[in-house]
Amino acid sequence: MLLAVLLPFIIAIFIPFLSKWKHKLHTGFFVTAVPVVIFIYFARFIGPGFEPVEREYSWIPSLDMNFLFYLDGLSLLFILLISGIGSLVAFYSIYYLHKSEQLGHFYVYFLLFMGSMLGIVLSDNVYVLYTFWEFTSLSSFLLIGFWNHREGSRYGALKSMLITVFGGLSLLGGLVFMSGITGTASIQEMMSQQELILNHDFFPLILTLILLGAFTKSAQFPFHIWLPDAMEAPTPVSAYLHSATMVKAGIFLVARFLPMLSVSEWFFIIVSAVGIATLCWGSYMAVRQTDLKGILAFSTISQLGMIMAMLGFGTKAAIFAAVFHILNHATFKGSLFMIAGIVDHETGSRDIRKLGGLMTFLPITATLAVIASFSMAGVPFPFLNGFYSKEMFFDAAVTMDLSVTGIAATLQTLFPYLAVLGSIFTFVYSMYFFFGTFRGKANIDELPKKPHEAPAGMLVSPAILVLGVIIIGLFPDLINKPFIEHAASAAYGSENVKDIYYWHGLSPAFIMSITVLVFGTILYLSIPKWASIYNAVPGRLSLNTFYDGLVERTERYSTIITNSYMNGSLGRYVRLILVAIVVVTFGTMALTGGFTLDFGNVSEVTLHEVLIAVVMVIAAIGTIIAKNRIAAILILGVVGYGLAMLFVLYRAPDLALTQLIVETVTVALFLLVFYHLPNLEPHHESSLTKAMNLIISVGYGLLMTMVAISAHSHKMFDTMSSYFVDNSYKLGGGDNIVNVILVDFRGLDTLFEIAVLGIAAMAIFGLIRLRGKNKEE
Amino acid sequence: MEIIMAVLAGTLFTTGVYNLLQKQLLRIVIGTALISHGAHLFILTMGELKRGAPPILTDGIDQYTDPLPQALILTSIVISFGVTSLLLVLAYRASKINGTDNMEQLRGNDYE
Amino acid sequence: MSNLLALTIIWPLLAAIITAFFNNKKNTVRVMSQMFTLINLALVSVVLFLISTNGTIILETGSYEAPFGIVIVGDMLSITLVLTTNIVAAACVFYAPKSLTEQQESFFFYSFFFMLISGVSGAFLTGDLFNLFVFFEVLLMASYGLIVLGNGKAQLRESLKYVLINLFSSMLFVTTIAFLYSVVGSVNMAQVSQRVQEVEQQGILTTIAMLFFFVFATKAAVFPLYYWLPRPYIVPNPVVSALFGALLTKVGIYSILRVFTLIFVGETDLTHTIFIYLAAFTMIFGVIGALSTNNIKLIVAYNIIPAVGFMMMGIGIFSETALSGTIYYLINDMVIKAALFLLVGLIAYVAGTSDLRKMNGLIHHYPVLGWFFFIATLVLAGIPPFSGFVGKLLLIQGGLAQEEIMVVIASLVSSLLILFSMIRIFIRGFWGEKQDAPPHPERSGAARRMTWPIAVLLSITVLLGVGAEWFYPSVEEMGEYLMNPQIYIDSVIKE
Repeated sequence: MLLAVLLPFIIAIFIPFLSKWKHKLHTGFFVTAVPVVIFIYFARFIGPGFEPVEREYSWIPSLDMNFLFYLDGLSLLFILLISGIGSLVAFYSIYYLHKSEQLGHFYVYFLLFMGSMLGIVLSDNVYVLYTFWEFTSLSSFLLIGFWNHREGSRYGALKSMLITVFGGLSLLGGLVFMSGITGTASIQEMMSQQELILNHDFFPLILTLILLGAFTKSAQFPFHIWLPDAMEAPTPVSAYLHSATMVKAGIFLVARFLPMLSVSEWFFIIVSAVGIATLCWGSYMAVRQTDLKGILAFSTISQLGMIMAMLGFGTKAAIFAAVFHILNHATFKGSLFMIAGIVDHETGSRDIRKLGGLMTFLPITATLAVIASFSMAGVPFPFLNGFYSKEMFFDAAVTMDLSVTGIAATLQTLFPYLAVLGSIFTFVYSMYFFFGTFRGKANIDELPKKPHEAPAGMLVSPAILVLGVIIIGLFPDLINKPFIEHAASAAYGSENVKDIYYWHGLSPAFIMSITVLVFGTILYLSIPKWASIYNAVPGRLSLNTFYDGLVERTERYSTIITNSYMNGSLGRYVRLILVAIVVVTFGTMALTGGFTLDFGNVSEVTLHEVLIAVVMVIAAIGTIIAKNRIAAILILGVVGYGLAMLFVLYRAPDLALTQLIVETVTVALFLLVFYHLPNLEPHHESSLTKAMNLIISVGYGLLMTMVAISAHSHKMFDTMSSYFVDNSYKLGGGDNIVNVILVDFRGLDTLFEIAVLGIAAMAIFGLIRLRGKNKEE
Repeated sequence: MEIIMAVLAGTLFTTGVYNLLQKQLLRIVIGTALISHGAHLFILTMGELKRGAPPILTDGIDQYTDPLPQALILTSIVISFGVTSLLLVLAYRASKINGTDNMEQLRGNDYE
Repeated sequence: MSNLLALTIIWPLLAAIITAFFNNKKNTVRVMSQMFTLINLALVSVVLFLISTNGTIILETGSYEAPFGIVIVGDMLSITLVLTTNIVAAACVFYAPKSLTEQQESFFFYSFFFMLISGVSGAFLTGDLFNLFVFFEVLLMASYGLIVLGNGKAQLRESLKYVLINLFSSMLFVTTIAFLYSVVGSVNMAQVSQRVQEVEQQGILTTIAMLFFFVFATKAAVFPLYYWLPRPYIVPNPVVSALFGALLTKVGIYSILRVFTLIFVGETDLTHTIFIYLAAFTMIFGVIGALSTNNIKLIVAYNIIPAVGFMMMGIGIFSETALSGTIYYLINDMVIKAALFLLVGLIAYVAGTSDLRKMNGLIHHYPVLGWFFFIATLVLAGIPPFSGFVGKLLLIQGGLAQEEIMVVIASLVSSLLILFSMIRIFIRGFWGEKQDAPPHPERSGAARRMTWPIAVLLSITVLLGVGAEWFYPSVEEMGEYLMNPQIYIDSVIKE
């Protein structure tokens, strides 16, 4: 099973080599074989007696990150969709993508996606699941950006990545949280300890995080905005990722955790409300689109919303309908995308305003389109699978009888109406898609190409899918017992079996279907009369504007914020750093009672020392006041010599000597350097700046003094120095203890101190000599 | 005396930092020099002042000033000297090449 | 055997001295430097092996018993970081000849380079606070030498700020050591730790601890002390930027990690809580910086800061898992930052500009470069299975276990923004219309040779991610080890 998941990745490695021969044989042929093999491998599991299979392969056991695969009905449904539709799309792409395209890239991304998607639906380990999850976002990003010379393509790629990775990260947060609470990374084991999670204080947060992941991926309102822009990808990709599989990863995730999460009332409120909102908004917006793929994108959004809503209902019937609809949607929507691709390919346009009357030119395509779009609309014909799941949806919405109160109860009563409303628009856009493209007046002259029927190879895949629509419609039991039932039971958490009938009698659901049919037809026929409503809603207030503004503002405000303090001014940096140090350290001192003043442990005060100190203080202040540069440097020398005198008084002869020499050389260097610098303009500071500088510097000086005094008052241990006194002669062979410490006890310090001097010398040499390249010299 | 020395060293830090916050390059470099003086004085003070003879072994004396801080100061003085020299040359070159010794004019947004 | 440990510091020092004498013989000095680096890499690997089999190696320099002499403590954490340092160094030394001008090479680039390695290794290995200061000065002085190399206008301007800020924090460092010495009477880290615990970290010690934190945080570029960092890092040659980005801030982080797990662990409610907040701010403000510019080098330089935030997060959370996360992130970040700086250096070289607005469609001419950049972006953003993820996962796990929700959310948000800031370069610079010819066709030959070191670094990050099983168990042990400072103390001070 691991091999099956890794197969696409392995083949992907070889694609760059295979694509060298693409002029002889289209790379797509090799690639099509991969999903076919996977499909056959997993098709073996289909059957009424199916039992979940578990396999474990270790990867990083110490992080609890293993390939733990759990194949139950739900995963099987998805795997067959991924590999089945994958085979058809790969085959279709052979005719869609010309050999002059960068086929190697395309198929690498394609296979990466397929493998990752299989990984998502099979992984029971949350970290591995997350890994594959992000990989689908990445491969989607690369596929949308396949024609990256287009501005729209780059825009769409970035948008989808930002939104789906945002969701991915939030999902990661939720998953890590749950695994932390339950102490396991396995979803099955987590669900067996669901009380721990459900009763956790942070359960609302966990729920939000997980749902954000699912909603962004499955393009739920208001995160759906990336999907229409993802239509920049080549059409096979749209058919595959952005309608049949990847966007259902969010659905899968919710279904996976459904038995646990649906216990919570908040799950019901959020998921079903978001789902219904997506259904209505998506189908409403679809009618407004002029691009064929745009219609399909919004239609996908609305269908995903419908499935999500059913999962949100959480009832047995709703879940069964949801699972059934996942399959149905894949068949009709996959074929519709391919049909849109054919239209684009054969006429050179996807603009529905230019299209029309194509029935005569593309008769086969049109036949396929009518079946698929009527199935999508839920037209009550027994050979359209879309009708079955649509009616189950109505049924679930009407019969839902949860014992809830408050908002949840209100929602429960509202849902049937909203379901009908959304479906009416679904009906409208389905008709709009079909009739707008294939019926009406043909304006061949406006099209870039003269339309003609697609090559047979291109028709195979959509034909197979449409055949699926019909077969499922006519013989639902063919897939129900061996297949759907297991998936529905897995999502529900216990057995969920149902017989699928065409005729239920005059049930409320059937009446709802008829309502949709009637009102849908009226609305469709009167589109020109009410289309102006779109100028008001959404008008200019679209979510896209919001997204664009957000991205643009993120960059703009980042620049403003950053430039406001990162202005290259050293003074600004030092001020900010000092304020942080002074405030936090004083704060710490106050909080911990770190300051103590102890006069008991001090040496006597003598006059000459105090005098030296006073002179030094005056000199130090003098460096600030002195106007003349030379004077300032000389006054600095006074401080240095004063320090040397203190060293003498405080029994440090070596220090005094060194200080004297160093100070002399430094002052000389100062004079040398600043003598040569041209005298430049005087520097005036505002008095406000001066005051601020004064406060900051006094604060810092005060801090250091206080810490010093307190540290001195807290001498709690004998220093290590007695060792040096005792052993200076014995071990080091010298009388001057300081020298022995330097060259012997702490010889390493001295070695590197000399090294520092050496590097300084080399750096100075470089500074002075290396100037050849600088023209300004 | 230690407390007075701590105050003195603190004053050196204060004046040093104040200089560091000036615009003129010379003042800034002087500021760093003052801060290192202050730091060295702090180290010395932390080792207790005047508690014995200079740390050179002499017969008959068993009370010496703490030698370790002195050794540390010595190392630090030498290192500071190296850094200060480099800084001086760098300051010279930077102000020459950029034609100003005003730190506020050395903000710059070009990196090539 | 324990002397081998010292050799890992001394060998680069020797190499620095030797190469200084050959600075005019271009080819000799190159080959020599490459040899020396590889030898050191081998040497460090041997030491790592010895330590991993026999446990921590303590070297008492001059054979003066701890705590009186300077001890060098080779534990797994230190030696692993030294090894990573040397890997980065090796990549840089092979990248350097094509990247540097002859003049830069002849003005002691290799000597500064080796001194930097020596200083960084020393800082990782030393067990003595004052010695740590000395090694800080060594690596800083070497970095001063490197940053001014070339003497450009902007370069000198930014170097000046860099030197001044570091000088300031060095002086604070040495003063703070003096304060600590006054209270506990020692500069040996093990003994200091012992004594601080003995008096239950009284208020004055916590105050001093915060000063230490600020010293290291200035080097490490933690909020609100990172202002100085981004600009000076992009003005020198890309090799130098890579060394800085990979090593310098990491020494600061390492020091915080060491000092606040070994010594100041008595007031974690206060100190480490502050760290958590600072970590969150560091992440957010850092990544905001990365979004603020169109200069690709500056984007990468700003991205150093959120990574620092991640590592601080682990220190602040202060649990085994979180510390392991910090260590893993640290190792990963050293490698990936080096790779990224080398990469953007190369991109700017072939594009002839580092302004993103002037780039377009580079991937059509430099596909390898483009995909390397893409992978590097994923590593940096912590997308699994690359190595950035492992550290991030552990940090999030640690954070959630202690219910530090705020910082976890900050880390997730900043991950997204890191990805955004980097993928912009990919989308705007690499994607786009295919140009007839690359901007500087004559540069593609050199570019190809400069790609190899980057390839090596990237494969290491991939290996660290996919093959985490080979590395993580020992990192986990390091985390456990850091939570138990007594092990360190006992190994240094033998009663």
